[in-house]
Amino acid sequence: MSEALFVVEDLTVTLPTSRGPVDVVKNVSFTVDRDDTVGIVGESGSGKSMTSLAVLGLLPPGGRTAGSIRLNGEELLGRSEAELRGIRGNAISMVFQDPLSSLNPYYTVGLQIEEGYRAHRGGSRREARKVAIEALERVRIPDPARRIDHYPHQFSGGQRQRIMIAMALCCSPELLIADEPTTALDVTVQAQILTLLAELQAETGTGLIFITHDLAVISSIAQRVLVMCEGDAVEYGTAEQIFSDPQHEYTRALLDAVPRIDDLIEEVAL
Amino acid sequence: MTRYVIGRLGGVVVILLAVCLFTYLIFFKLSPDPAVMICGKTCTPERIDSIRTVLGLNQPLLTQFWEFLQGIFAGRDYGTAHCSAPCLGYSFQTNESVWTMLTARLPVSITVAVGAAVLWLLAGVAGGLISAVKQGTWWDRSAMALALTGVSVPNYVLALVLQYVLVVKLQVLPFPSAPAFADNPGLWFESYLMPWTVLAIGYACLYARLTRANVIDTLAENFVRTARAKGLQRSLILRRHALRPALTPITTIFGMDFAGLLGGALITETVFGLNGIGKLAADSIAKNDQPVIMAVTLLAAFFVVIGNVVVDLVYTALDPRVRVTSA
Repeated sequence: MSEALFVVEDLTVTLPTSRGPVDVVKNVSFTVDRDDTVGIVGESGSGKSMTSLAVLGLLPPGGRTAGSIRLNGEELLGRSEAELRGIRGNAISMVFQDPLSSLNPYYTVGLQIEEGYRAHRGGSRREARKVAIEALERVRIPDPARRIDHYPHQFSGGQRQRIMIAMALCCSPELLIADEPTTALDVTVQAQILTLLAELQAETGTGLIFITHDLAVISSIAQRVLVMCEGDAVEYGTAEQIFSDPQHEYTRALLDAVPRIDDLIEEVAL
Repeated sequence: MTRYVIGRLGGVVVILLAVCLFTYLIFFKLSPDPAVMICGKTCTPERIDSIRTVLGLNQPLLTQFWEFLQGIFAGRDYGTAHCSAPCLGYSFQTNESVWTMLTARLPVSITVAVGAAVLWLLAGVAGGLISAVKQGTWWDRSAMALALTGVSVPNYVLALVLQYVLVVKLQVLPFPSAPAFADNPGLWFESYLMPWTVLAIGYACLYARLTRANVIDTLAENFVRTARAKGLQRSLILRRHALRPALTPITTIFGMDFAGLLGGALITETVFGLNGIGKLAADSIAKNDQPVIMAVTLLAAFFVVIGNVVVDLVYTALDPRVRVTSA
């Protein structure tokens, strides 16, 4: 059987701290296939974001990695900065949590989409602009040909996250890592972004890693779930299995923390 | 935008009028009687009275102030003599027209300010930028230690040391004399080199530390992480995504500092004996030459207020968030 699109094997991430090196991710393994969505869940500080930053070689200075990260069977760990640069935003893209601070306030969204495209595909500004308008159209920004020349602060929170997604998808990546993409948004907008991600994934076949602390969000989008706690992968399985029959105590605790409508009804009845 | 500019300029006029009134009150009303000062040692009460009449000092305060303002915009008469606009009065010491004194010395101050500004911007911003990029290295540490020293050394000390070493001992530079550029460009440059350097060093050190801090802060911003995640070249990230946000606040500080210097670099000009506005201020204060003190103060206030407006306008051009909301 050929290897999955994206494989993480025994990944350990070590960061320097004032009290010496600390393993913030310990022996984590998971795979992502084409059309596949893997959710990584855990509280803040559980190592989920460090896992994703390690994939792109974007760890804070002094961060070290061990284990194996492979895309299409090719090892990514130990690559040079120049080689990693060729992968970032090209084969593997990333969407971050806070779309306002993740966009540069000094430049139009058009320029910020174009520069990523041109870094990997080259070509003229005009060509990149066409791609950027198409990308904005794909994430359903109304009137993209005009809006492309607007600045990030002229968009709503949900639109900014759409722009981030457009930026991430403009080079047709094989893998998209979404790090808490809906956390900073209100619930209705969250749902729109999730739907958009699912639609785009169906359209392009991109593998998706969805990082969140919110189990409710993950249940609606992921096929498989990795539960992380203090750097350890405490549970890894299909979404169905994790939600119906959690094996680990921590997973059960996380599930119990999700407010449920029947609990509320009981409370009101009392 | 046009409305914004007109509004700002209206504000400028109000502020300048207020500055005028305050300086007028301080220098003419709270100081010793100008008529007595002009009159000198061998004086009679009749002479003092006649001087008062000529200067208009026997009029009510508001009338005097109004005449002073009128002098600036339309000219005024002192007894039989007419002082054409812009009239800032005559020096109590030399009887020279204050406006002529200012215009004769302004080019020196502008030369000092512009030359120093070029030096400190280049050295400060470049030094701070390199330090930020090489954060934590020996270059960064030594540059910042040097910058701290530079900020701490008073510039009159630096001026005297430089003069002693370069002019007296090594004789590589002439003593500063503020020659005209057209007469001898080489001498002009050599003469101003020391004042520029002395004035620039303190600012350069300050700007280096500011630039370093701003660039380091900006490099930690989420949008820089986004730029890296897009696979952009490091140099492009630095140039496009880090530099502009980091340097925008520097523009503000630069505008204020530069505007302040146009009103005269008091210490540097005095130490080097350059006949600029700063030296004029120092001399007139020493001799209590009120019309000159008043004019120098107004000129400095004028530059600072105008500098403020220019900074705000430049800011709207640099920062789209300000631009779009004000439009």
